[in-house]
Amino acid sequence: MLFQTTTPDTLNYLIIGYIVFFGLPLIFIGGLWWRQRNLEKDVELLKELKQDEQEQGKKK
Amino acid sequence: MKSDRYLQALNVFTGLLMVIATGLVFLYAPRERTMGEVQRIFYFHVPSWWVGAIALFVTLVAGIAYLRTRDRKWDVLALASVEIGLVFITMGTITGAVWACPIWNTCWTWDPRLTTATITWLAYVAYLMLRSGITNPDQRARFAAVYGIVAFISVPITYYSTILLRSIHPVVFGPNNPAAKGTGDPLTPTMLQTFFFCLFTFTVLYADLLWNRIRLERLTERVEQLKARLLSA
Repeated sequence: MLFQTTTPDTLNYLIIGYIVFFGLPLIFIGGLWWRQRNLEKDVELLKELKQDEQEQGKKK
Repeated sequence: MKSDRYLQALNVFTGLLMVIATGLVFLYAPRERTMGEVQRIFYFHVPSWWVGAIALFVTLVAGIAYLRTRDRKWDVLALASVEIGLVFITMGTITGAVWACPIWNTCWTWDPRLTTATITWLAYVAYLMLRSGITNPDQRARFAAVYGIVAFISVPITYYSTILLRSIHPVVFGPNNPAAKGTGDPLTPTMLQTFFFCLFTFTVLYADLLWNRIRLERLTERVEQLKARLLSA
């Protein structure tokens, strides 16, 4: 860059950089969403199991 | 729940800030003369490291608070903050390498800043590995708190590496930057406005992600409690 007279074309690097800037947080947010969905499913399942158990206990 | 509504409002606000910040970076800030378009990486690169440092500092504080109180909430905060901090310092490191490709003519060099940044990254990856290797929750929280406190040493070392050691990494702010010494061009007002807006946006993004991550951890705890109750019945 010492004897540079024109502005270099570095647009490709900028695009790669911003793919990283948006890609990584989106992957992280996607991961959070996926984990939350699985945990909510687990909560529902566990509640159902508990309810079943309570009903069986009453029958006995 | 009231807190859920606040969180949703924060999610929307953060999204809006990100859109504005991106608009400022591409439409408002001028193109830098010697580096060209790639200089725009700076507006998100520095805030990434800023947030990374805040996140790891929060882990340090949470670690100290956990050791003093033995309250699980501090351990949850420390874990959430490390995860987010790692995302941001990974972003900062990769985009720094992308910027360096055309500017330094090499994507990576074992310069003091890059070396200390890599050490910081590895130290916090090891934090997560340590946690996953311990099954006892109390022991895990205690070990992680101590490790989180010790590992934080790498953060100021990374920051001061460009000031105290010979480094090719640019120094944009502070008394050591070329503009302050009169050997380089300072950032223009529009560049500075864009930069500080991005810094604010990333700080809000960190708070938003932290809240979401803590909420997820609470849900995990609820599942564990339900499982324990079901097994004990």
